[in-house]
Amino acid sequence: MPPAKEKVPVKPQGRDIRGFFGGSSQTTPAPTPKNAPTRSNLIEISDSEDDKPVKSKTLPRPTPKVTAPKPKSQRVMDDDDDEELAVKPKPAPKRKKPTALLSSDEDEDVKPKAQSVSERKPTTRKAPVKKRKDEEFIVSSGSEDNSEDNFEDEDEKAVKGKAKAKPAPKKTTPVVKPKTTPTKAPVKAQPAGKTKDEGDKSTNDPKPNWAAKAAKLAGGPAAPGSKQVPPSADPNCLSGLSFVFTGELSAFSRDEIIDIAKRYGGRVVGQPSSRTDYVILGADAGPSKLAAIKKNNLKTLDEDGFLELIATRIPDSRDPKLKKKLEKEQDAIRQAANELELREKKASKQPAKAAAVPLTSQLWTDRYAPRTLKEVCGNKGQVEKLQLWLHDWASSLKSGFKKPGRNGMNTSRAVLITGPPGIGKTTSAHLCAKLEGFTPIELNASDARSKKLIENSTNVSNTSLDGWMHGSGTTNAAGVGITDKSCLIMDEVDGMSAGDRGGVGALIALIKKSKIPVICIANDKGAQKLRPLVNNTFNLPFRRPEANAIRSRLMSIAFKEKMKIPANVIDQLVTGAQSDIRQVLNMLSTWKLSGDSMDFDEGKHLAKMNEKYTVMTPFDITYKMMGPYMFSATSRETLNDKMELYFHDPSFVPLFIQENYLKTEPAKVKHDAGPEKTMKWLQLMDKAATSLSDSDLVDSMIHGPEQHWSLMPLHAVCSTVRPASFLYGSGGGYGGQNPMSFPVWLGQNSKQNKLNRQLMDIQARMRLKVSSDKQELRQSYIPALFPYIVKPLMDEGVSAVDTVIDRMDDYFLNRDDWDTLVELGLDEYNDSLILKKISTATKTSLTRKYNSKDHPIAFHKAQDLGKVPKKIAAVGPAPDLEEAFEVDEEIPDEPEDKADDDDISHDSLIKKPKAKSAASGKPAAGGKAKAKPKPKAKKA
Amino acid sequence: MSLWVDCYRPKSLDELHYHEGLSARLRALAGSGDFPHMLFYGPSGAGKKTRVACTLRELFGKGVEKLKIDQRVFMTPSRRKLDVNIVQSNFHLEITPSEVGNYDRVVIQELLKEIAQTQQVDINARHRFKVVVINEADTLTRDAQAALRRTMEKYMSNMRIILCANSTSKLIAPIKSRCLLVRVAAPTEQEMMKVMKHVADRQNFRIDDDNVIQEIAQDADGNLRKALLVFEALKMQTGLNGPITIAKPDWETYCHKVGDMIIQEQSPQRVMEVRTKLYELLSHCIPPSVVLKTIASHVVDKVDESLKADIMHWAAVYEVRMRVGNKKIFHLEAWVVKVMSLYKHFVYGIDMSSFD
Repeated sequence: MPPAKEKVPVKPQGRDIRGFFGGSSQTTPAPTPKNAPTRSNLIEISDSEDDKPVKSKTLPRPTPKVTAPKPKSQRVMDDDDDEELAVKPKPAPKRKKPTALLSSDEDEDVKPKAQSVSERKPTTRKAPVKKRKDEEFIVSSGSEDNSEDNFEDEDEKAVKGKAKAKPAPKKTTPVVKPKTTPTKAPVKAQPAGKTKDEGDKSTNDPKPNWAAKAAKLAGGPAAPGSKQVPPSADPNCLSGLSFVFTGELSAFSRDEIIDIAKRYGGRVVGQPSSRTDYVILGADAGPSKLAAIKKNNLKTLDEDGFLELIATRIPDSRDPKLKKKLEKEQDAIRQAANELELREKKASKQPAKAAAVPLTSQLWTDRYAPRTLKEVCGNKGQVEKLQLWLHDWASSLKSGFKKPGRNGMNTSRAVLITGPPGIGKTTSAHLCAKLEGFTPIELNASDARSKKLIENSTNVSNTSLDGWMHGSGTTNAAGVGITDKSCLIMDEVDGMSAGDRGGVGALIALIKKSKIPVICIANDKGAQKLRPLVNNTFNLPFRRPEANAIRSRLMSIAFKEKMKIPANVIDQLVTGAQSDIRQVLNMLSTWKLSGDSMDFDEGKHLAKMNEKYTVMTPFDITYKMMGPYMFSATSRETLNDKMELYFHDPSFVPLFIQENYLKTEPAKVKHDAGPEKTMKWLQLMDKAATSLSDSDLVDSMIHGPEQHWSLMPLHAVCSTVRPASFLYGSGGGYGGQNPMSFPVWLGQNSKQNKLNRQLMDIQARMRLKVSSDKQELRQSYIPALFPYIVKPLMDEGVSAVDTVIDRMDDYFLNRDDWDTLVELGLDEYNDSLILKKISTATKTSLTRKYNSKDHPIAFHKAQDLGKVPKKIAAVGPAPDLEEAFEVDEEIPDEPEDKADDDDISHDSLIKKPKAKSAASGKPAAGGKAKAKPKPKAKKA
Repeated sequence: MSLWVDCYRPKSLDELHYHEGLSARLRALAGSGDFPHMLFYGPSGAGKKTRVACTLRELFGKGVEKLKIDQRVFMTPSRRKLDVNIVQSNFHLEITPSEVGNYDRVVIQELLKEIAQTQQVDINARHRFKVVVINEADTLTRDAQAALRRTMEKYMSNMRIILCANSTSKLIAPIKSRCLLVRVAAPTEQEMMKVMKHVADRQNFRIDDDNVIQEIAQDADGNLRKALLVFEALKMQTGLNGPITIAKPDWETYCHKVGDMIIQEQSPQRVMEVRTKLYELLSHCIPPSVVLKTIASHVVDKVDESLKADIMHWAAVYEVRMRVGNKKIFHLEAWVVKVMSLYKHFVYGIDMSSFD
């Protein structure tokens, strides 16, 4: 079967948008069968036919294989017809003479590689030429030779295994083929061909065509969608195995291949370790991972090997360890489910309870809420800490919270539990309280929690009479036995603010004198308004539990509900919900209404539907955008997906891209070297920079007077997608040699604005003497003034102070303006250099002398006359922190207003030295401490 | 003691050293009683404002020299407060609306109307109108210019406007057609030398070697202000005897360094280093177009003949973009990368047109 020929007719179906951006898209993502078989070579036919099922058959191939043992050639014909319907029933041109056995055979062996590599340059794919290239590629890739051979071996085995299994009536029949046992292959021309092939290789060895290889690699990775996942030997064929993926695969994107691995029960981990079973290597694998592979002596597979594994592997159920483990898991699940059942039965027997809420009408989240500490999923350590703290509460109170205790918690009267929703914070708090015999008083966002209410309604002094009134056997609504010990659970404290004025402050005050334990629960620990609370409590951050911590619990619930959900589907749901147990339970209970089982795809779909929208940080977005995968040929992200990243934060992402776009090593020039690489690289940079420049033009249309907000998508493309599409590549990550950084534009821009304002001030002051605008002032005057008002201080020190001050007075400059002039210097006049050369004594003397003298002033600035803003501090008891914050912000505005109003009338002071200067020489850098308090503006 | 350039600034039209024809015409205009709106334009350092001041003095007498600065507060419709400095005498006032950036329209509207609606109260005043001098008129936004249009006609009896700009290209045609355009060209070298000699006379020293001041005049490139500042600096440092080296201002040497960096190496790292330097220049209030111009002319000096045209072409392209856009650094950097790419291309002589 001559593959080269066959691939030609398959042309890209939809133009990929990547091509639009200059990416080298060259292949169809469409899963069209690649190999339109030909009947050119009857001698070879049996082989090529065998080859196909592994490589190119679609996964759920509905047409059953021809069952009747037909003559082989005939069978192939049938099969081919099937496929050709999908492609084009075009009789492939006969390229080879039937007798050309050897060459065609060799072709075949080359094929798998050819598929992954040779498709990169569709334009160069002329059949005869290509064939030569393929050979050469294999030959030249000396390092890969080994794996290549290996792979071919496997391939062959698979091929033969398939061939053997073929007469079986159904495709799904597990193909029993342990790897190690050599197959007793039906005798064919294959071995001969193979050896010949190898011989060919060795003869070709000396003259590898490097240029061809480089050209091929430069074309980017091959053919997304060119390979099909073979039908698996067993739905759980990868169970018990852990995989690491590294580098870029030719036909699948990273997400897809991970998805496939999970689908078949495999475990995917990020970094290879000694416990990793397989590492799937793609092109350009990370060096650290390769080192780890070497170190741990791990088995590696390539893409085809991995697919092969799926097609052939059957988890060995006879492995006693595995079996035991499985059984144990099953038992645990069953037992847990039984427990649940028992508990429910028991509960229903208690008449009072059952009447209250019938179990069947309860939400799953309530029905299956953990009843013991053992049942809490994840965060075990934190929950134990909480329990211990509650346990020790009484003694801590007695000791006045002086003894830290085992966890150092016993000095706090309150704990603050923080963590994302749905991971059991409230549940754990209630459970611990109950187990330690406290009566929980819960206040949550549905209760008004203002200062007054908190102080009055809570039982801070622990004087509950509940227990005494009702006797010992009673319980409250939540089913908690009422005792004389109570415990305050403040749920959702971060929701406290809007209507609850002073809430957090009151809560802190309450905590400080509380005689009962207080448990506060919040989502976001970093929130501004929780800052004071964080300082006054012991913090117990809860993390999202791992999928395996939740799995068994969910499995037993599913079992109890008689739902059939495999473990990998549960995992899928858990990851999809970001470990939100509550959400998974809700999802399951909804699913239960429609069906009792869920397969992988359904699970994925369900998780997708319930996906929570999370905003990524600009760092993550930049990392993702500029990283090697976003624009690679196997990436499945559409233009919209890429633009979506921009819309996570449209004001910051472009700045981040601009800051970091030069920090990668572009994937597009990875395979070049020397001048060519430099040239290409610079050209890519040029394109990216031009695009950024475009984006700024678009931005000015959006934010300018026109307000064309509809141009946002264009801005997304110009500012983010396009630059990244040129320069994406590795090296720009967190740990690369060019770590990603926060845009300096923001800082530089505000510095520019500040200096601009100060320069404007100076210009306004000098206006009476100088005709220039502020630009001229900066460019001509400041360098010219420098020798008169700065240099003498550097050269002569204190003795020059008087002349400098005179010169400043000539131009109505004050002490602040002197600082600005210095700050505006560049290069050798850089302010840090200059200030280093001026001694502190000189600076102090300048400040002191300036302040002690009277100076002519050009005009009053509004601020100069303003009364000192009254601080509203120390009025009554210290207000709640939030309030204080607001007040602070308001202060500066008001006095300024007044100052503005009376300012306008006082300005006839020009050139008239006043008795007391209003020039507010603020003591500057050096002389701050010693400077006299500045004279107040008298006229004001 | 101020700098010479400020000390010996001509106060009346008679004292001006060059453009005598223009001075005569201004004098005639001021005497005629029918004083039009005027637009003075020309490069900086040519003497526009000096001439404006002289003309005002001619119009109103010595009173216009009694200046004071007011700080007025304007309120935008969005209730943002704007501080504007107004330099004024009894007969005229001078504003720089570009101080408030995009809100200049508010200032123009409010201030001009206010002035236009008040009549001159000083009975001794020679003219019934007040003059408003608008500095940096070429940086006025379109809105502000539009706000000027009607005011200029309607309130002619109470107010005259003198616009002061570097170039007329950014002024809308209606404004230009309402003004008498006065071009103040940059002085020639001879004229500048004459002025310098005059200053030397006033300072009581003699210039022995005309070559020295000629060199200064050449270096100043038609900017008399710059010439005088350099003249004074050199006098203080060297006494102007013998050969001189004119020190470049700090920002110019810094720009040249950046230019050298571009030529030395072309790599992403170098672009990032250049970016840092550019940020430094911009944040120290050097206008981006000046930065671009200085670096470009420096780079052009150092490269092969065949690249010069391209480099300047792209500098022009990105300067336009810079004016339209907001974030100047984007365009500066794009130009730097472009130049690096062109330069490297030239050095390697590889035809890369086939690369997508």
